[in-house]
Amino acid sequence: MIVFLVFKVYPVILAVIMSFQNFQGVKSQEWVGLTNYQNVFELVRFNQALANTTVYTIGTLLILIPLPLILAVLLDSGRVVQSTVFRTLIFLPALTSLVVAGTVFRLILAEDGFLNLLLSSTLGIRPLRWLETADLALPSLILVATWRWTGINILYFNSGLVNIPRELYEAAVIDGASPLQLFWRITLPLLRPTTLFVVVLSIIGGYQVFVEPFIIYNGGGGPGDGGLTMALLIYRTAFTSFNFGTAAAMGVILAAIIFVFSLIQFRYFGVFSRED
Amino acid sequence: MAEQASELTLRTRWLPGPRLNLSRIVLFAFFVILTLGFVFPLYWMVISSLRPEGRIFVDAFEIIPSALSLDSYRTLFEEEPYGQWIVNSIVQTAGFAITALFLCTTSGYALAKFKFRGRNLLFILILVSQMIPFHLLIVSLFLMIIQLGLVESYFGAIIPIAASPIGLFFVRQYMLSIDDEMLNAARVDGANEYQIFFSVVLPNARPAIATLFILFSLEYWNNLLWPLIVFREAENMPLAVGITRLINQYQQSYDLVMAGSTLATIPIIILFLFLRRQVMEGLAATGTGMK
Repeated sequence: MIVFLVFKVYPVILAVIMSFQNFQGVKSQEWVGLTNYQNVFELVRFNQALANTTVYTIGTLLILIPLPLILAVLLDSGRVVQSTVFRTLIFLPALTSLVVAGTVFRLILAEDGFLNLLLSSTLGIRPLRWLETADLALPSLILVATWRWTGINILYFNSGLVNIPRELYEAAVIDGASPLQLFWRITLPLLRPTTLFVVVLSIIGGYQVFVEPFIIYNGGGGPGDGGLTMALLIYRTAFTSFNFGTAAAMGVILAAIIFVFSLIQFRYFGVFSRED
Repeated sequence: MAEQASELTLRTRWLPGPRLNLSRIVLFAFFVILTLGFVFPLYWMVISSLRPEGRIFVDAFEIIPSALSLDSYRTLFEEEPYGQWIVNSIVQTAGFAITALFLCTTSGYALAKFKFRGRNLLFILILVSQMIPFHLLIVSLFLMIIQLGLVESYFGAIIPIAASPIGLFFVRQYMLSIDDEMLNAARVDGANEYQIFFSVVLPNARPAIATLFILFSLEYWNNLLWPLIVFREAENMPLAVGITRLINQYQQSYDLVMAGSTLATIPIIILFLFLRRQVMEGLAATGTGMK
């Protein structure tokens, strides 16, 4: 229990304190008030990282909620032969380290990599420079996220689906409801707690995205900082520029964003919601 | 006939109406193609690691390669400390999982079965700490391990991240279901609290412990950020950090990076196929999101 306090609570306090200090090396520090925060918001790179991370998070939400939801419903409908096999295979990417996800997609997204080959041979699209174009950085990262997280989200939606009483569907079918009506009127409303849970989880995860861009862009922000995320910037500020105070201030801002979304979760689920 | 119909209704959750075979075939084909898309990058990783040097992009149109070579694997073990990284990963992962389990079970037991002042506050505090982004902590944790002299050490890599709020929550919920009567009976029989914990509580929580052990192992095995900060020396690194080092060192040698990635991934997938049910149910129950 003490370990929990020492390594969770104490570092938070320390980080908040540090965000108000100016560091000269590891040992000496002085109080600088809000200067670190001022510096952070004046940093062009920080604002870009904030914008990138927000776009990335929204992008992952737009794909990683509807897609797994529909797939989970289809897999659960009893109409797909061998649904367990599909579930398992789609889940496999979740087992890979994010490092591996990064290296594999570096290879696939390369200019003469497989994706371009596939696109040009089937759709006749000219090869795109996925990894070298600033505007393609976030789509590339969202593609990686889709690959890695779809299986897990299907899993979450599935555990929500099995809790919906089957009798509801049978009763509705007797009353002549169509499949689409069943989906909109029964599945979706009753799945709301699960959906909200997955949404909040995705937002919290999205804002913390680090490893994928770190691997894909060699620890940098990618072309024109198009793949620079907040977590990446914090890491670089702390361990490349050794600007601990500024990094701590960025950490506090990131924590504040995540805190707001977590509060929403707590409000809708209650602290003990996962108790069932 | 009637029997058959009711069986079909049971199997059908929401799609009513005539059961067209065509729709089933289309659905099946759709999932086959989709699944291929998800599995393909893993296949590509393995295949690319086996292509002869410099042929990765040239032969990319060969989905099934005509020439195979194990050269990249040889380089990995002969010129890079890849064998050492595997050993490091295994030792650190085991150390992490055991430490994290120890913390979860002891604190979870205390929070579930003992009444003391501030217990609820403590519990809520621990739960709230789940929402702290790790990036807020890295600077302070880094300064802490410098002061404690734990840089480059296994302790430094494991202990600061071993306190898992979600794991504790999971264990606590499980331990709430252990019958108090049983604990009291043990006390009457003269067992001390340590004996009770190790010979009554832990065996009864075995399913929860097994699930968490798997999830914790997976978590550390795949973790990059903290080990990346702790370890700068190649011979101490776990696999995830080692692969990152390979990328920086051999920018264009994708075969080598893919070989390193393959060896870090395939054993996990094989293990998973044996423990599938436990991993997937455990994940659904804890909702950790798995980083």
